[in-house]
Amino acid sequence: MRWLRFTIGLLIALTLHSLLDSFYPNALAFFNPYIILVVYYSMGGNILGAIVAGVVAGFVQDAYSNAPFGLHAFSLTVCAYVVAYINSRLALRGTLAFGACLGGAVIVNELVIYILVNILLKQRIEMFEQALLVKTIFTLLFGMLVYQLLTLFLREEPIEATRRQATW
Amino acid sequence: MAVPTDVIPRRPTLLFIVVLALLFVLMSFSQQTRYVGETRTMFERTVMTIFSPVPKFVNWLGGSAQDMHHGYLDMRRAVNENVELRRKVGSLTTENLKLKQSDGDLKRLRSLLAYAEQFDMQTSMAQTIMLDTAGRFKSIIIDRGSDDGVQVNDVVANANGLLGRVVLTTDDLAKVQLLTDNNCSVGSLIERTRRQGVVRGSGATNVLMHDIPSLADVQAGDRILTAGIDGVYPRGIPIGQVVRAEPGKSLFKTITVKPAVDFGTIEEVIVIHTRKIPPAVVRYAP
Repeated sequence: MRWLRFTIGLLIALTLHSLLDSFYPNALAFFNPYIILVVYYSMGGNILGAIVAGVVAGFVQDAYSNAPFGLHAFSLTVCAYVVAYINSRLALRGTLAFGACLGGAVIVNELVIYILVNILLKQRIEMFEQALLVKTIFTLLFGMLVYQLLTLFLREEPIEATRRQATW
Repeated sequence: MAVPTDVIPRRPTLLFIVVLALLFVLMSFSQQTRYVGETRTMFERTVMTIFSPVPKFVNWLGGSAQDMHHGYLDMRRAVNENVELRRKVGSLTTENLKLKQSDGDLKRLRSLLAYAEQFDMQTSMAQTIMLDTAGRFKSIIIDRGSDDGVQVNDVVANANGLLGRVVLTTDDLAKVQLLTDNNCSVGSLIERTRRQGVVRGSGATNVLMHDIPSLADVQAGDRILTAGIDGVYPRGIPIGQVVRAEPGKSLFKTITVKPAVDFGTIEEVIVIHTRKIPPAVVRYAP
């Protein structure tokens, strides 16, 4: 069931990605729907599930962007792992906790991408700081709104809300 | 066999490291293949293929929405254009009606003018402003009065025939007694036989011709004209057409004449300034 919900979330993120690409081509420079999904999923505290979610979501993002294939998968996996690891220890709940995780994840994600692009492509990302700030704010706002809506309408905590023993 | 709990957290971390390493290799491979012309790896293609329905659907949805939006805009434009065209049609229809009216007026005035020119007497044009043809006493009011030279007993006609005579004038208006009025008498003749008589109004739609002997030749359809023998009406103005001629109770026939003029549709008229009657007589005119 949780994977079904993740898949639906992934399809929604991809739909959003496609829509923004079609109508506002620069919008994805300021907003990342995939990371919201990954953080929401990782808040459950299942590290293994979070890694898989990060890889899959990252692959989908990579497939429909012009980045080297695996770049976003790498960064999202890192974010997913960090968020899931923290939640497996602290079991954070609530909108503010989600916001804090999401904000941190966006920053980590962008930093990882920045480093990887520097290593692999030997390129500098122009206006990185400004883009990071804007992206963090917009993603955070949208993510918290989505979280609130999900909490209101689905009346549930993030997927895998109950803390589980990490197994595989 | 139970797995020691302190080992469990390490394994996902191990997996995490392995996954990252694999991803890094994949990324590097992907980056290298870009330089040899192959921009997409097979794995990347597979992922794209699996999820391709989503962008396709979004594209279709976007296209449909755009079509709908454009359709809606086109419809709005068409509606506005339709309103504008309707307004134009209304305005043009009004203009057309005015032109038709003007054309009709022009034709009527031309025929009146041509008719007026056949009189050697002075004539003037006038407009009917009031029409009282429904009662027993039938009259019209015209917009010319004594200031315009209209006098009592001036004859009033239009292109179709005789209307009557002026019985009252003010400075700028004149009252005309119509042929069909009960008190109106006109010296007349039958055009075909030149037999003279008197046409009198009967208060009805038709008028009667009197003083035609029973033996006189009168047929339905005969045209009746003014005879010019009464000192008021000039000779030759059409009065009407015989519709019925019956033997009367005495020596004279009862002849019913349908007036040449449709009194319900009078607009412009000609006032023929006859002035044959001395002013002293005029003073006693009805």
